[in-house]
Amino acid sequence: MSKKILVVDDSKTALMMEREIVERRTTYQCVTASDGQEAVEKAQQERPDLVLMDVVMPRMNGFEACKRMRQQPGTREIPIVLVTTRGEESYMEAGFRSGCNDYITKPVDGAELVALLHSYLGE
Amino acid sequence: MNGDKHIASGTKSSGAGMNDLRLEAARKRLSESRNQEDAIEALREIVANFLGSEEIGLFKVERRTATFQVYWSFGIDAENYDLLRALGEAGLQRVMRGECHVVLPSRERSGTVVRVQAFIPIRFANQTVAILAILRLLPQKVAFDRSDMELFKLLSEEAAKPLFGSSVHSMPVLEGPGIRA
Repeated sequence: MSKKILVVDDSKTALMMEREIVERRTTYQCVTASDGQEAVEKAQQERPDLVLMDVVMPRMNGFEACKRMRQQPGTREIPIVLVTTRGEESYMEAGFRSGCNDYITKPVDGAELVALLHSYLGE
Repeated sequence: MNGDKHIASGTKSSGAGMNDLRLEAARKRLSESRNQEDAIEALREIVANFLGSEEIGLFKVERRTATFQVYWSFGIDAENYDLLRALGEAGLQRVMRGECHVVLPSRERSGTVVRVQAFIPIRFANQTVAILAILRLLPQKVAFDRSDMELFKLLSEEAAKPLFGSSVHSMPVLEGPGIRA
């Protein structure tokens, strides 16, 4: 059974692109959510093998969603990669404090993203 | 100006790969816009997510005065920026003819890095009906590259109708001498 990635972004454009990369350049399945609240719920239901999540989103941002996932037994161990336009060190530190495993900046380089996913999930 | 580069809209594609996915996503997002407001959001998302800038201005041809007016901006107050004047008369004419204009990073005498700027003609029926100005890039984005030029071309050719709706059919043709920044 192929591994599953939960892609989270409030931008339809980013979601479209990241979904295309996952589905056409890897063997993984993709499920999506459009804000942090939905991501926390979907992570509980779907139990993905990895979460790829934007930071700045309505309702609940990526940092908060990351903390919530870390607090829940079912999602505590899932690798979380945060994706954002903000590349400042302080912002990245906040990401790691929230419990993420990795942090990448936009514009996302498709080849680097695939390599990163493979490093967590294998080919 | 040193570092200026003029890139014709007909830039050759670099072929298959990740960039094709990006172009496909941008095209799909624009064409599936529900209305003009959603098309503007699509444009903002494309520039932020794919080109790496959160400072954007869109200028539309104003028929009555033969000038450009700020149609929409994000991350800047475009009214306070003399953006199109930075292009100069010759640059503006080139953009009006359909060429993208990219200002590459350079250093002023003071040592301050000049903001990277791109001016993209938004075309409909072989005429420029608006200009998209992209200002400062995100810190992690060093400069525009070849694949970005392909996205400029896509925006140039395909953004007018989603952005301006049916009004694009009645937008004025203002090329050559006479148009003012």
